[in-house]
Amino acid sequence: MSSNPFEEPDDAKPGGFLLGHSDDDSVILEGFLCPICKADLKTPERLTAHVEQQHSEEQDLLKSLKEMFSFAKKKILNLDETATDLARSLDSSLQVVGKQERAVAVVNPILAWVDQQSVGTDCDHLSYFKAVRNPRLERYASETNKLIIRLDKLLDGLPSEMDARKKHEQSKVPWIDGKLVKLCPSCAKSFGLTRRQHHCRVCGSVMCDGCSFHLSFEEARAIVQPVSPGPARATSSVADEPTKDHESSGFRVCEHCLHLLMNRKEMQDSRSDRPLITKLYDRLLQEKKDIEPHIPMYSKIIGSLYEGDAIYRLSDASALREKIGRAAERIDNISKTVLAIPFVQGSREEALKKAIRLSCITFIKERMLSIPPLPVEEEIKKIQLRKKQETARRIERERRLALEAYERYELESGTATGNYNGSSSSSTASTAEMTNGRFYGPTTVAGSDNWSGYQASAVALSSSADPLIDQINIVKGYIKQAREALRFEEVETLERNLSELTQEFYERQRRASAEASSSGQ
Amino acid sequence: MNVIRAVQLYLEKMVADAGPGMKMLMMDRETTSIVSMAFSQSEMLQKEVFLFERIDSGRSNERLKYLKCIVFIRPTRDNVLRLQSELKSPKYGSYYVHFSNIIPRTDIKALAESDESESVREVKETYADYLPVNPNLFSLNIPTCLQSLAWNLDALDRSVQGVISVLLSFKLRPAIRYKSSSSAAQTLAKKIHETINKETALFSFRPPEDGAPPPLLLILDRRDDPITPLLNQWTYQAMVHELLTINKQRVDLSDVQGVPKDLKEIVLSSEQDEFFAANLYSNFGEIATTIKGLMDEFQKKVHDQKKIESINDMKNFVETYPQFKKMSGTVSKHLVLISELSLQVSKQQLFEVSELEQEIACRADHSTQLQRVKKLIADDKINLQNALRLIMLYAMRYERHANCGTSGLLKLLKDRGGRAHIVPRMLEYISTSARQELFNTVKITDAVKLTRNLIKGLKGVENVYTQHNCVLKEVLDDVTRGRPLDAAFPIMGNELPFRRPPQEIVVFVVGGTTYEEALAVHRFNQDGFKIILGGTTIHNGDSFIDEILAATAGIPFKHSRSLQQFHHAPTGEA
Repeated sequence: MSSNPFEEPDDAKPGGFLLGHSDDDSVILEGFLCPICKADLKTPERLTAHVEQQHSEEQDLLKSLKEMFSFAKKKILNLDETATDLARSLDSSLQVVGKQERAVAVVNPILAWVDQQSVGTDCDHLSYFKAVRNPRLERYASETNKLIIRLDKLLDGLPSEMDARKKHEQSKVPWIDGKLVKLCPSCAKSFGLTRRQHHCRVCGSVMCDGCSFHLSFEEARAIVQPVSPGPARATSSVADEPTKDHESSGFRVCEHCLHLLMNRKEMQDSRSDRPLITKLYDRLLQEKKDIEPHIPMYSKIIGSLYEGDAIYRLSDASALREKIGRAAERIDNISKTVLAIPFVQGSREEALKKAIRLSCITFIKERMLSIPPLPVEEEIKKIQLRKKQETARRIERERRLALEAYERYELESGTATGNYNGSSSSSTASTAEMTNGRFYGPTTVAGSDNWSGYQASAVALSSSADPLIDQINIVKGYIKQAREALRFEEVETLERNLSELTQEFYERQRRASAEASSSGQ
Repeated sequence: MNVIRAVQLYLEKMVADAGPGMKMLMMDRETTSIVSMAFSQSEMLQKEVFLFERIDSGRSNERLKYLKCIVFIRPTRDNVLRLQSELKSPKYGSYYVHFSNIIPRTDIKALAESDESESVREVKETYADYLPVNPNLFSLNIPTCLQSLAWNLDALDRSVQGVISVLLSFKLRPAIRYKSSSSAAQTLAKKIHETINKETALFSFRPPEDGAPPPLLLILDRRDDPITPLLNQWTYQAMVHELLTINKQRVDLSDVQGVPKDLKEIVLSSEQDEFFAANLYSNFGEIATTIKGLMDEFQKKVHDQKKIESINDMKNFVETYPQFKKMSGTVSKHLVLISELSLQVSKQQLFEVSELEQEIACRADHSTQLQRVKKLIADDKINLQNALRLIMLYAMRYERHANCGTSGLLKLLKDRGGRAHIVPRMLEYISTSARQELFNTVKITDAVKLTRNLIKGLKGVENVYTQHNCVLKEVLDDVTRGRPLDAAFPIMGNELPFRRPPQEIVVFVVGGTTYEEALAVHRFNQDGFKIILGGTTIHNGDSFIDEILAATAGIPFKHSRSLQQFHHAPTGEA
């Protein structure tokens, strides 16, 4: 028995197969007990038949009983197992044990070792980079902020009349005395009649006409009020007066101030600038992110369908396939819209949108259209039917074998009850093992009593009163909802929860009856 | 240890660090080749890298502030200056800067001072500073590395950086051994040793477990094995390189007649081409068989696709289309290559040439071989390249032979218009140890080697076209079996020599390696060793001759005075 490396954990064996020792002194409840009415049916076949007849409404239980028997039988009887049978049983046991172990079983340690190459060393210089950059940036930032405050003051209540404006400007920003400056600081040419002195309106320094720049009022306002460009203020302002002269439509500034101000403006722009292409691209990303987990899920469902499992239905697969198809269509459409954005011929943006479209086509082609086709319904039905028949055949065969064994046992126990214990080296070794190991065991129970067990006095079960049953029903409802919403990961976990719950339910009932029996004695 | 994977991992990390969103990649000339050898463009598209730009040429002034810019450049002075000007007026929203090697702090300071708009988000050294050719083979793409038989200084610097980056990619802090007779190998070993000791922080890896020998960096010199690059090869990759030249995974077929338009330039990447990856080291005959199998399979599929009758068939077609298209591409590509190779083989009578080449390389039989060389170079069907190479092999083996007939052969070659002046240059190029050890028939110093050769001789030859073993194979034999190395390959620095063979080995060949040597390394790796081979470049016969000419330019003739009449090239040739 222990040769099976994937031996099921104890809790995976539901109550059907009589394991009942409750406490040290208690009576051991053994035999093929019906988990519902606690009747001992003596053989698995009879138990199955009993459940089929008496508790036909409990389909889940019946199924689990059958599977469990067939599995347990295989382990115990270890009869004419073919290699394929064994493989399948391993497979199914793996499924019971769960995903985790399956993953462990699949990973080949040698392959894993070969694949295991980690990314090489790297060396991060960002902290040093920041240590150099940030003080400089801070200095710039405070300087720029000062300029912006001045700009704001200048703009506030700016007179339209030239002389008044000059006074206003000078009152806000102290101008450098022109007499002190003989040469233009940036081009080093001397001032004179032809080369007049000009002042930067923001910092007040002196330069020649050639070295000065103009900052229009609109731009100035955009810098001062970055969030809302303030159309109301703009309309009421002086800047709207139609004048060609730079002097009247903007401020004269020096190169340094202009650079600082424009730099700030650019940073603001790039932060707030969200062209159409980025919006579309974000949508593309979202679509891809949404659909990506569904693609492996679909393959998984298809695989499970072909194995004849009952967790997923064909309708699940087709619904999911349709969803993937629709997502592919949407991605295709968005990328087409991206392609249709007009850009200058031969520009980088032109190349960009083409590249985006290309990557979408590849994604759709290689990831979304290459998914396996839906299985044909008849085929799946055939597979499921075959699996059912196989199970049925197995049950039939086991029933026959166990019946024989039972009859033989009854025969032998009638004649040599006491001697049988320990003489396990009979010709039907496996059967002997079963009887010996299981039913005699360490506890000294008389052989004849062995099969009779405790007749559970049909513990009345008001199913609605049991919170477990409520829970089971709730979970069943969730599964239905999840299935409708195509959330198949949830379906899977819920199905697992459900089976755990049902197991727990049987376990409890068994324990309850065992307690009842022990207290009864 | 897979160099292609190492570069891929670096690039994947680089792209992942930049986060989701539209990205572009800014590279220089060399990093462009490095990236393109690890990933195809469509693979980069799938990683959301949509645009590629060279920092050193053809940049537009378009501002695309919504793009993230990943910068991956070598840490050269020019590149830093270019990046500085880019950062002063940034075209893209944010910058993720990666240098492919160790960068001086002053350069980082300069960059930080240029980043006025705070657009740099990352500054890193990412050591993907070599061309990953095969999983076990890298190249630094330095066509010629010697000047007057000493290092060209630029090439030396680049080699130090390349080897350092390979070591960092695999987190190795090796013991360094170099060929004792080669001053070039010694210089490189010394420089690498200095760098490792200077960058202690970078090389502070977890030391190997107790008693385990440290990894080994083995530096060899091409001048010690000038035979290998001169032989015609019969394994797929080596053959393609010899006859058609592989340049950074690309083969130019535009001169070949009857090639379909889309195959004028084909990519041979072991990463993207499964067939190529599987047959890299198969010999010519095996590939022909394999490709026939591939074609049969393909035709079967084509046949399947032909009977598209119902909508269902069409759907199936679309569903299998990507694989179908991929397969058809592979088949036609390799078919074109193989047919061109076999055409060349028969046109150049390569079987005959190769047999004689191998004979000269492996066995001493002066009079017979001289006769055969004479006969072949007089044959018009043997092209001048092959004639020249036969004479080179002959001249090397019988340089000191009493009846050496090199000058007679060169006369014949000159009469046919061949480049006879290369042979004396070759004789100057080869190292003393090559003279003494390569054809150890005259001087028997090593009894073990002699016995081994005797046994080899007794066993007979399995394949006349692949008898020759490169020197590297013998060296690696010694290394992996833990034979004493200290005499021929001393350790740089004061590390204690380890008796036991190292777990990981990086071999670097100054003056270029070959695909034949990559095959030898591959065989060791199949036996469970972890060996990486690299070289300043990867040679075929022609590129090796160029290397010889560059390395010996202007040096006085010492060994080939008897060939004085051939010393000078005819006018118009270098």
